[in-house]
Amino acid sequence: MIKSLLFGGAAGQGIDRTAALMGKILASAGYFCFINREYSSLIRGGHNFDILTFSDQPIFSYQSKIDLLIALDENAILYHRKKLAPSGRIIGGRNLSVENIWLKADLDSFRRRYNRPVLGNNVLIGILIKYFGLPLSTAFRVVKKEFDKQEAVLVKEAIRFGYEKGSREETLPLKKRNISLLNGSAAIAKGALKAGLEIGFYYPITPATSIFDELKKMAGRKVTICQLENEIAVINATLGASFAGAMSMTATSGPGFSLMTEALSLAGMAEIPAVIYLAERYGPATGMPTQTLQGDLKFAINAGHGEFPKVVVAPGDGSEAFLRTIEAFYLAYKYRVPAIILSDKHLAESYYSFERMERPLVQAQKFLSRPTANYKNYEITKTGVSPRLVPGQGPIVRATSYEHDEDGYTTENSKIATLMTRKRWRKAVFITKEVSRLKPVEIFGRGKNLIVSWGSTKGAILEGLKTLKNCRFLQIGYLEPFPAKLVERELKRAARVILVENNVTGLLGQLIREKTGFSIKDKILKYDGRTFAVEELISQINRRI
Amino acid sequence: MKLKKQQLRKDFKTPAPVTWCPGCLNNSTLLALQRALAELVREKELEAKNIVLVTDIGCGAKAYDFLAVNAFYSLHGRVLPTALGIKTANSGLTVVGIGGDGGTYSEGIAHLVHACRFNVDMTMIVANNGVFALTKGQVTPTTRDLKRREQDSLFGSRGLNPLVLTLASGASLVARGSALDPNHLSQLIKTAIRHKGFSFIDVLQPCLVFHNDVEYLRKHAYYLKRPLGFKQAFDKAREWDYGNTPARRAVPLGIFYKFRRKTWEEKLALMRQAG
Repeated sequence: MIKSLLFGGAAGQGIDRTAALMGKILASAGYFCFINREYSSLIRGGHNFDILTFSDQPIFSYQSKIDLLIALDENAILYHRKKLAPSGRIIGGRNLSVENIWLKADLDSFRRRYNRPVLGNNVLIGILIKYFGLPLSTAFRVVKKEFDKQEAVLVKEAIRFGYEKGSREETLPLKKRNISLLNGSAAIAKGALKAGLEIGFYYPITPATSIFDELKKMAGRKVTICQLENEIAVINATLGASFAGAMSMTATSGPGFSLMTEALSLAGMAEIPAVIYLAERYGPATGMPTQTLQGDLKFAINAGHGEFPKVVVAPGDGSEAFLRTIEAFYLAYKYRVPAIILSDKHLAESYYSFERMERPLVQAQKFLSRPTANYKNYEITKTGVSPRLVPGQGPIVRATSYEHDEDGYTTENSKIATLMTRKRWRKAVFITKEVSRLKPVEIFGRGKNLIVSWGSTKGAILEGLKTLKNCRFLQIGYLEPFPAKLVERELKRAARVILVENNVTGLLGQLIREKTGFSIKDKILKYDGRTFAVEELISQINRRI
Repeated sequence: MKLKKQQLRKDFKTPAPVTWCPGCLNNSTLLALQRALAELVREKELEAKNIVLVTDIGCGAKAYDFLAVNAFYSLHGRVLPTALGIKTANSGLTVVGIGGDGGTYSEGIAHLVHACRFNVDMTMIVANNGVFALTKGQVTPTTRDLKRREQDSLFGSRGLNPLVLTLASGASLVARGSALDPNHLSQLIKTAIRHKGFSFIDVLQPCLVFHNDVEYLRKHAYYLKRPLGFKQAFDKAREWDYGNTPARRAVPLGIFYKFRRKTWEEKLALMRQAG
């Protein structure tokens, strides 16, 4: 069983919150959900929609055939009517003057009574709950968790009102499963919290900095979150805080990350742990700020002037985002390098559901050493990792952007420069070893043909594997250090290799060629700012195998 | 406590060879800072292990190598956000920043404006030599030689008055010192470090090679007796306008303005308590 609901309307009508609330109620009833969000960069007006797909089996993406179209304005019907399944129905407000609306709900009496237009949306939730034969108590349990007391009373009243006006068309049994529903931003926030994040600095940008809204909700004041004047300040402050002993991170998107690259090199040279969450969006330049693209793969792995080791993880869905975030903190602090968590708008803002979070393979910590009398912040060691202290512990701690000796004094001596460069790069060897134990690639499904991808395309591909014959899927979770051997082995075993990416030049394909010499000819690339729909992906892959 | 030069030799000395030009006035600014820190430590107002020096890059920033304290040699113009990060992580540290006029007033000027607003409890010393010295003499926003500024490039068309800027941006202590008088400067630095809030000191520090106005400053400098009210401080800050007015003017030195208001760290503590 699989069903899709589309919620459509203008910005400001509460589309996303309504879809998310319905999703949480369905998850609470034991159903797996996926929510895809589409909106433009404006505050009021325009057209936004969310597709909520749910099933009694795990699902990884949304389905474009719509069973119920929930319209908050007429545009929603005009734009999406053609997506309706033959048995599909439209639910809308009484004020909509479009034909063929199956149920016209009285949303206005609620809107007017409290002078709160968005409250009317909860009447729709009540109607949907009745439609699917779910008990009110399930909905109320979720409402209690999601709203404060006063608000919850009103929301419940609206849901009950809708429930009484609606009609039961189906009876979905309650499943005894504990399913959590999280968007990618929340999953990353959860990972950062689990890793021990103490301070976050940011300058607002879509779609990255919503992780700090999620963090505020989850951690309250336990994590210090500061907005600063620009991304340059933000990254330098992150390094300052990390130098002074706090576990810190920042988040940004392409335009902001461009400004951060100067200080990324500083993190590399000064060997200061730094975690940067980079959520890609459609570019170049301003591009389409609220649309998705995987255009920054090479930018992320090559960011910064000069050569220095770094880590780039690329999670593909909610639970992986949680795990990879913890790994990024672990590696950054253990090896004193910058680590980038690379995601995109689709991953950041889609809601993923899972029965339980996988357990992280590592436990992040600050990796601080004990103070010693002759402490050297850049002591040359076998692994290249020098013991880490912070100011205030006693021994002098000197961090520097200049080339330096073991004590951190400036040098232009060629011998010391060589030793220090080698020391920094020795860390890369040990990071690579460590990463090989962190499942840097994953293989899904069985078959002689191999689909290769990275990041948020994972959802549509996994969903596609349910239908595709003779295909397995290689998902690459680490872009730097790159798991070349594992990738090469899989590529060579495959009858046919198909690259799937949300960008125009096949950036992962280029990286694979650089690292393994293997050139992938078959590419399915999409670069219109939208993610792959499962149906479209399946037909494209079937054409090639 | 006033330490003798003799006594100071050992305090915060490092083994690094000094790479400034012979006779460079950066030595005086460094000496003033060294004296201020040494005295504050001996007076038990500071613990040496809690001092953090943050520098950017350029001539003045080389002080990183010559002071044996915790230190962060940051990037051109990025002293202030780095320091803000440090203080956000550990408000118990005493942070002193040294920047040049190129880094602070050109590359990183946005950070200066916002650091004044935020009122981070730290001291920012700008070794203002009025020139990009390491890159061989280009003008900065505070090149004091009007003719030179206007001839050299469009960049210099009008000078920047950092005292007016920091006053307007909300700095809670605004001062001007001179590297020609390291004793006075070290007293300024001590007051600035003691002050709770963002303390800003513009240090007039002629560059003997590329921008030598030693004679002028010797002749025209005079000392303010006490901090002024905001309006008077504003007027006083414009009395000598960094060479913008061709007429020769006297150069006031000292603390122009000092005001106690909630610091970044105090607000942070309140925020953290509330949660």
